[in-house]
Amino acid sequence: MATQVDNTASSGAGRVAPPSFWSGVWQNHAPGYLFLLPWLIGFLGLTIGPILTSFYLSFTHFDLLTAPRWAGLDNYMRMFTNDPKFAASMRVTFVFVIFSVPLKLAFALGVALLLNRGMKGLPLYRALFYLPSLLGASVAIAILWRQMFAGNGLVNQVLANFGIQGPSWISNPNTSLWTLIILAVWQFGSPMIIFLAGLRQIPQDMYEAASLDGASKWRQFWKITLPMLTPVVFFNAIIQTIEAFKSFTPSFIISGGTGGPINSTLFYTLYLYNEAFGFFRMGYASALAWVLLAIVALFTAFSFLSSKYWVHYDD
Amino acid sequence: MSIRLGRRQFLMGSSALAAAAAFGSGPAWAQGATLRQFFWGGQARADRTYAVNDLFTAANGAGVDSSFLGWGDYWPKLATETAGGNAPDIVQMDYRYIVEYAKRNAIAPLDEYVGSALKLDGFDEDQLEGGKVDGQLYGISLGANSVAQLVNLAAFEEAGIEPPNRDTTYDDIRAMGEAFQSANVRGGIRVIADGSGSEPMLDNWLRQKGLALYTADGQLGFDADAAIEWFTLWQGFRNDGICVTAEDQALDTNGPLETTMVVMGKSAMMPSNSNQLVAFQTLMTDALTITNYPRIAEGVGGGHYRKPSMFFSVGGSSANKELAAEYLSFFVNDLEAAKVLGVERGIPCIEATREAVAPDLNAADQIALEFVANLGDLLGPLPPPPPAAAGEIDASLLRVLSQEVAFGARSPEDAGQYFVSEAAAILQRAS
Repeated sequence: MATQVDNTASSGAGRVAPPSFWSGVWQNHAPGYLFLLPWLIGFLGLTIGPILTSFYLSFTHFDLLTAPRWAGLDNYMRMFTNDPKFAASMRVTFVFVIFSVPLKLAFALGVALLLNRGMKGLPLYRALFYLPSLLGASVAIAILWRQMFAGNGLVNQVLANFGIQGPSWISNPNTSLWTLIILAVWQFGSPMIIFLAGLRQIPQDMYEAASLDGASKWRQFWKITLPMLTPVVFFNAIIQTIEAFKSFTPSFIISGGTGGPINSTLFYTLYLYNEAFGFFRMGYASALAWVLLAIVALFTAFSFLSSKYWVHYDD
Repeated sequence: MSIRLGRRQFLMGSSALAAAAAFGSGPAWAQGATLRQFFWGGQARADRTYAVNDLFTAANGAGVDSSFLGWGDYWPKLATETAGGNAPDIVQMDYRYIVEYAKRNAIAPLDEYVGSALKLDGFDEDQLEGGKVDGQLYGISLGANSVAQLVNLAAFEEAGIEPPNRDTTYDDIRAMGEAFQSANVRGGIRVIADGSGSEPMLDNWLRQKGLALYTADGQLGFDADAAIEWFTLWQGFRNDGICVTAEDQALDTNGPLETTMVVMGKSAMMPSNSNQLVAFQTLMTDALTITNYPRIAEGVGGGHYRKPSMFFSVGGSSANKELAAEYLSFFVNDLEAAKVLGVERGIPCIEATREAVAPDLNAADQIALEFVANLGDLLGPLPPPPPAAAGEIDASLLRVLSQEVAFGARSPEDAGQYFVSEAAAILQRAS
């Protein structure tokens, strides 16, 4: 409104031509844009720029030392027709996502339900359970994990007390990926906090009414808690799935960057990293990155499409 | 309106200030008498290098702006800076990468400075040769080095077995391994690490058979039969408890020295390098030494070679090439600098500096110097620099295949066949 008043005022004076649309925008919003400028420069220069560059590079062969050479669809062709390690890393990543995300969510929900019953020292427990998530992606935790699951590590020492001779978890291709899945599940803190907030939103009178009608706790959980919680489950599932696809640090540290033994912990992102910085195939790595983006986008889109059949909003 | 103008003026004023600040520090960049240096290594190497830089500044007046990273982070950073046209004046270069960098003009040929800014009188001929690409000098070797077997003397003593010497063969290793098993010391420590995934060890074994890892034109220098024999040899060692188990060997991720079999107490020997004895000894209280890799049969030598452990090269886009050449000259010739550097980068390549360094060396350094200087019949010719894809063949083929055999996912025959065909594909793709 103010803009219009200004414009009529200036054209009413009849001396100067009415300002163009853009100068009007500038006159009125200049300070806003100026304050926005640092972010805008960062966004264009550090986010959009690299994204577009990587898209271009994904159609080239680029070894960092010499100028990129146009390669058309070579990189994408190789990925899908002639790269056993691409397939191997894809398999490892999917196993990781398919097992770690549901397990983590189930665990987070279970703990949230326990904490929601109102107990003494609740803030302390919440903080304690959240701690692994804060430390989660750190190098230190991955190193700790490596030591816990080594052949003579803590895990096997505990098992030995029960007379079980555990394998060398992290250096055996049959078990190494599972140690990473357990690590991911252990970092259940952030979905747990969100579940807890969701549980608090469920009206207590529903439970009261249900108990009056004689519904068991178990039945209350399936008929009230879970349906009321589906929006939160949906949110957590999406966030955790994306996180799981992007997972890098644990496998990088635990396998010393090799994805070994025998590529059993070769996460997609680790393979991408090795191609880019280990073997200087920036173009191929860019193509890998775009395929990952497409996969995550597909997964997310599928989740949204399916959500109308199982997510219940208050209506 | 006045407030807006005020803000604008303020913004203009502050950007002018920022510009002034930038110009103010401009002359410091433009002076040109500062060399930028970049190398890989740890703190010990950095301390020695910085001390030499101070000596150079005192003698020459030019400053050296130096930084370092670990091996794994060094190459991506160097490649990125080179791609950005911002390569340092002095770069540490490895035998593995020198051809790649030289062929792309990312490092400069040094021939025009030899004799003037760069004095190389008395420089070991084989070490000079190692820094050449297509007949032109691209890197100055900072020290000679050789692959070597790291030996835990204390473990051998406990087992009551004579440690290996320069005549030890693979058959002797088997006998030692059996003796170790019956001695059963240190929770069943094995005599040797699993060397089947060790590229230097395979290289050494092939050379003794008159073969090579790579030919001069960058092809694989051996066939599937040799590869099968190699995997079979180690499969036998593994099955009979001569070398460590597959699970133990997989703990060694080729990363920090702490994950190696000798440091972890899993084996009494393992493949290593002569210049690493010092680093390993600081990690262990047991007395360590080095010896050569085993011989394939009595009296067969020629597997070893004196490898330039690393080079200094001059950045291809450097504006101070002559000054950088002077720095390299100082680094390898100056006796004070040599005393500071010791043998941390390998054995010095000029007789006079070797003599200057020798008296001050500690026991471990002495062993390394003696070993590299006296290889005798073990010494063979320097192989050609490996092709560009060698790193990938090592990391993603040899090591993975050795694990697949070890964990029973492939037979040695299958692994040998696959190695040769897949290596050819990788070489093809890289060329």
